[in-house]
Amino acid sequence: MAERKSLIKFKPKKYKNGEIVKVNFMVMHPMETGMRKDKKTGKLVPADYISEVKFFFDDKPFTTMQVWESVSTNPVFTINFKVPGEGTLKVVYKTNTGEVQEKTKKVKPKG
Amino acid sequence: MQRRTFLQRIGLAAAATAVITPRTVLAAEAPKGPNAMSLDAALKAITGGKKVTPSDKVHLKAPEIAENGAVVPVTIEVDSPMTNDDYVKAIHVFATKNSNVRCADIMLTPANGAAMFATRIKLGSSQDVLVVAETSKGEFLSAKQSVKVTIGGCG
Repeated sequence: MAERKSLIKFKPKKYKNGEIVKVNFMVMHPMETGMRKDKKTGKLVPADYISEVKFFFDDKPFTTMQVWESVSTNPVFTINFKVPGEGTLKVVYKTNTGEVQEKTKKVKPKG
Repeated sequence: MQRRTFLQRIGLAAAATAVITPRTVLAAEAPKGPNAMSLDAALKAITGGKKVTPSDKVHLKAPEIAENGAVVPVTIEVDSPMTNDDYVKAIHVFATKNSNVRCADIMLTPANGAAMFATRIKLGSSQDVLVVAETSKGEFLSAKQSVKVTIGGCG
């Protein structure tokens, strides 16, 4: 499976050690509910949605999400994160079809 | 007189259809999805039969009127010190009238610093959005807001 477009953003962009920042995680994903009909064929489109999102800092999990099909297409998940120092933030997500992908971003506090 | 009775009948018929149609439409608009789950069952699975109390500590931000039910932004903040002894363990988001009421379950840890979660959800029709926050002390706090949806977001 080709890699999906995903993005991790920190708000604010510049942050200090110990500061609480917002972490935005965006994925380009159709989030099919399994209840929508294809307009051309009239058949139901099979369900395909993100079922689990895990946030890691230096391979230690700190937030886990269980997600269902009621979340919008191209979802954005925002959580808070207290910056403990330099390291790598990793997000791993799974879909109900068994696809597993990940995205990493370096955490570089200033000052 | 004939014209008057005619108009009266039309008025009656219109009133009758106006009363009847929304119900039939609603009944037809609830197809069962693969993960269909009722609110009671979902709440029981999460709380294990414990009492859920409405609380001011849980702040739910959602639009009162959502033009497009496919994209309804929801922000949840819970007042909590987020220390090792006292923190918000989980936030559960429910759309009370969707086929599958569960939207997302977020398990937090003290490393988050503050209990906040934001995402965008789909709502099939006008309904209440319910949030249940589980604290490390075993309490279940909830907040509710009704959202009017002009165009449904499912199907």
